[in-house]
Amino acid sequence: MEAILRPDEQLRVKDLVVRFYTYEGIVKAVEKANLNLKKGETLGIVGETGSGKSVTALTILALTPLPGKVEGGSILFKRINGKVDDILKLSEEELVKLRGREISMIFQEPNAALDPLYRVGEQVAEAILSHRLPEMLDRAIESLKEELKNGNGGFSSKLQLWAYNEMKKNPDALKLKLVKKLPIIGKTISRKLNQVVRDEIIGLLRLMEIPDPERVVDSYPHELSGGMQQRIVIAIALACSPLLLLADEPTTSLDVTVQAQILDLITRLKERFGASIIYITHDMGVIAEISDRVAVMYAGNVVEVAPVIELFKKPLHPYTKALLEAIPRPGASFKSIPGTVPNLVNPPSGCRFHPRCPHAMPKCMKEVPELRRITKEHYVACHLYGGEGYGKHSDSD
Amino acid sequence: MKELKFILRRIRETPLSIVGLAIVIFFTIVAIAAPALAPPRPGRDPYMIPRYGYSPIPKPPSPEHPFGLTQGQYDLYYGVIWGTRAAYRIGVLIIAVSALIGIIVGGLAGYYGRIIDEILMRVTDIIFAFPGLILAMALVVAFGPGLDSVTLAMILVWWPGYARLIRGEILRIRSEDFVEAAKAIGCSDLRIIVKHILPNAIYPLLIMASLDIGSVVLTVAALSFLGLGAPEGYADWGQLISLSRNWITGKPGEPFAYWYVYTIPGLFLFLFVMGWNLLGDALRDVMDPMIRRR
Amino acid sequence: MSASMRTYIIRRLLLIIPVLIGVTLLIFAITQLFSPVERASLYIRDPRQAKDLPSIIKKYGLDLPVYIQYFRWIDQVLHGNLGWSESTHMPVLKALITHFPATAELALYAAPLTIIIGILLGKLAAIKKDTAVDHATRIMAIIGWSLPSFWLGIMLLAIFYGGLGIFSPGRLSVWAENLVLSGEFKVYTGLYTIDAILNLNGAVLLDALSHLALPVTTLVTINIALLMRIMRSSMLEQLNKTYVIAARARGLKWKTVIDKHATKNALISVVTISGLLTAGMLSGMVITETVFEFKGIGYWAAHAATQLDIPAVLGFALFAGTIFVIANLIVDILYAYIDPRIRLG
Repeated sequence: MEAILRPDEQLRVKDLVVRFYTYEGIVKAVEKANLNLKKGETLGIVGETGSGKSVTALTILALTPLPGKVEGGSILFKRINGKVDDILKLSEEELVKLRGREISMIFQEPNAALDPLYRVGEQVAEAILSHRLPEMLDRAIESLKEELKNGNGGFSSKLQLWAYNEMKKNPDALKLKLVKKLPIIGKTISRKLNQVVRDEIIGLLRLMEIPDPERVVDSYPHELSGGMQQRIVIAIALACSPLLLLADEPTTSLDVTVQAQILDLITRLKERFGASIIYITHDMGVIAEISDRVAVMYAGNVVEVAPVIELFKKPLHPYTKALLEAIPRPGASFKSIPGTVPNLVNPPSGCRFHPRCPHAMPKCMKEVPELRRITKEHYVACHLYGGEGYGKHSDSD
Repeated sequence: MKELKFILRRIRETPLSIVGLAIVIFFTIVAIAAPALAPPRPGRDPYMIPRYGYSPIPKPPSPEHPFGLTQGQYDLYYGVIWGTRAAYRIGVLIIAVSALIGIIVGGLAGYYGRIIDEILMRVTDIIFAFPGLILAMALVVAFGPGLDSVTLAMILVWWPGYARLIRGEILRIRSEDFVEAAKAIGCSDLRIIVKHILPNAIYPLLIMASLDIGSVVLTVAALSFLGLGAPEGYADWGQLISLSRNWITGKPGEPFAYWYVYTIPGLFLFLFVMGWNLLGDALRDVMDPMIRRR
Repeated sequence: MSASMRTYIIRRLLLIIPVLIGVTLLIFAITQLFSPVERASLYIRDPRQAKDLPSIIKKYGLDLPVYIQYFRWIDQVLHGNLGWSESTHMPVLKALITHFPATAELALYAAPLTIIIGILLGKLAAIKKDTAVDHATRIMAIIGWSLPSFWLGIMLLAIFYGGLGIFSPGRLSVWAENLVLSGEFKVYTGLYTIDAILNLNGAVLLDALSHLALPVTTLVTINIALLMRIMRSSMLEQLNKTYVIAARARGLKWKTVIDKHATKNALISVVTISGLLTAGMLSGMVITETVFEFKGIGYWAAHAATQLDIPAVLGFALFAGTIFVIANLIVDILYAYIDPRIRLG
């Protein structure tokens, strides 16, 4: 087993198996899925509802929703310190450090992703204070020293200075907790820190192209439009400049015009922050616009992986072809994919696509096709291209 | 009926509701078989407990009186057996009449809306502005104590819940296609309500009614305990518990000498309520997916 | 306090006026069940006054049209005249005021204990779903929910008072009561535990607490079930929400997510049912005070009821209804305080 990644790789998902234990039976949501992601790359994951895209993304954060369980595989990730770890083997303590700092996520429904009871600024602050407390303390200390030097600082500045230095040594120290509980002093102590964090948040919101960030920072989620909410969610995700951003259909619930703005924003922010992105969607149009490479998922399997241009020009898997034909085009008749998404409690044997596949062969019902390399960067899991090995170009249509 | 099958399956799946069902079946059998289990003296009101003397001091269980005699020499066994029947009688009566009023008033308000609806909602608001037991207590005092007053007072306190439920159901159903269709082909209002809307609205009502039996019986027992309901000697659990209040300290050196007078009737009341609550709990669980399935 | 909160409170205050009018209408409607002569007899304190009945009817306008009577009655109520309580030989208002401290003292301990224990256990059951803790709290809830409060009280008395000889009924032991009557022990609030602290009298404090133990246990046991179950199911619902996943995804510790986010959201459903809880508490007071001879308003009202002291019972019902309406108002304000969507909506 290789526990290392190639130098240019950021993430590799190997043979991931996720199952949900429900009353109706075991839902085999993700079955031996394989993915990899290069540094700075945007990987699009495309598939229908229930194909396991979202579950895969959440599992990368080790947040598989209940009653799901990871039953096999590994998720190798190159950490910020250069080490490669299997996320599935990390302790909760390590995961807390990783989430939001090294990998973060934006969600399909921004309205649901924000706690309705807290101001949005507070929720952005949570991310910053969880991972960037020392940096914020330094800034606060710097500013307090400045004040004292200029003679503007009094007792309260000295008090705060003491508290922040203590906090830098050990943020969970008992004496700090006690002091914070004191009536007036407790509030005084956090004054400068709050201000520093607030400035940081406002700067971040400005980057998100949020108008009037000074007002928005004090708003509750329900006071903002869906597009604004999503910008907040993105701000939270990017607050600590993560290495990897998971975007789970971030534009699906938004109005069409807003969709374009958000997509545009993500593209521009990617350049600025330099994060790798996994962008999940069912929309082929979005995929074409945003991704460098594409992974197609069907019923819990990754069935095809290819650079975006190649995938659109030369799709191999029959499912990918069907997906591309299903894109509505002016003048062309709309083609839907015959059949329905399979029930994942009792998935079809062999290749899960075979009941809907126009090219199904007897072999497809028995053997699960493996993801094989066809050209340098084009992989497909289909018996049509199996043959002796990879490298075989096929034009079976 | 598909729903019934579904309910039975859900009940089978949760052990606690099986316990509830068993308790409810036990009490139902006791209530039906009361005349055989504890034969009344001929020519007397069977709900009045026979007494065996006039001494105030309770007597412990004996072969003739398996649960003993309570203060005033009333037979406890007879009392709790017929008390079961009495609990069902008054509980079902209160709920049935309340539900009927609820259907009529809620139906009118839900179907016709506007002023009738507004009046109904305000009336129910006012009744809901009182804790149930306290309003019932005031009404019983105004009507004069006794079981009939208790029944009447309880109905007056209880019907708004059903009226609101039916109103809500009707508002929901009224907008559905089949009702629109019936209206379009010119069915009369009454016909639409009786033939199309009620059969659909009645189901949640039945569930709510069965959920309520426990609390209705409990409230009636509380009123009897306070001395406002059943008269002394009536086969009523609350009244029997009230009779036991003087005997909780026992005899010198024997603190639990009279344990039977307070333990037995209380246990019957407690188990009865718990049985219905457990069963109701299972029904409530069923109701949720039911609403979603529609 | 923010401006939005202030507007919300004012709006909500205006809304309770019609309900309070409704409450008085209902009580007034009950008085109309009696004939003018019967109602007039409620005003006399001495059988010798019986011949004055016609003049009393005239004086209070008991034969006038109903709506005029209502306004006269309201006028009397607003001036604190709720009638004469025959069973206690004092005006109803005075009886209410006399008995109020005992009830307040019971509520002072029972309500917070119910709320705190109920919420904590419900939360624990949700976090530890399908474990022994969860099943234990579920069984506790079902038992508490089904126990008749008066029977529970009697059983507790039989065990602790009859059997073990501790925790006797009443509010104070005889010696302590004599001390209070002697005037040596200053009564400031009528809540004996608080007065004992103010008098720096540890013995009375202990005595008062020991008398509170059983009634408070009864009230908590009966009322906690509902709270526990609501908190559990609402907490479970919250733990499945996206914002919980999102909060974890930004690197918050599981404990922080539960305590800061999920619990606060779960409390909203708890707040919405606290009306039921208040009703349960008020009804429970009547029963509990009666069983434990704890001489508060509930005890007084139950005794008045058995003696057909109609003004007392109606006065009590009016009082309970008003308390209930006010409690619901406080709950709504609390609700708005927790949930910005309400106060800004």
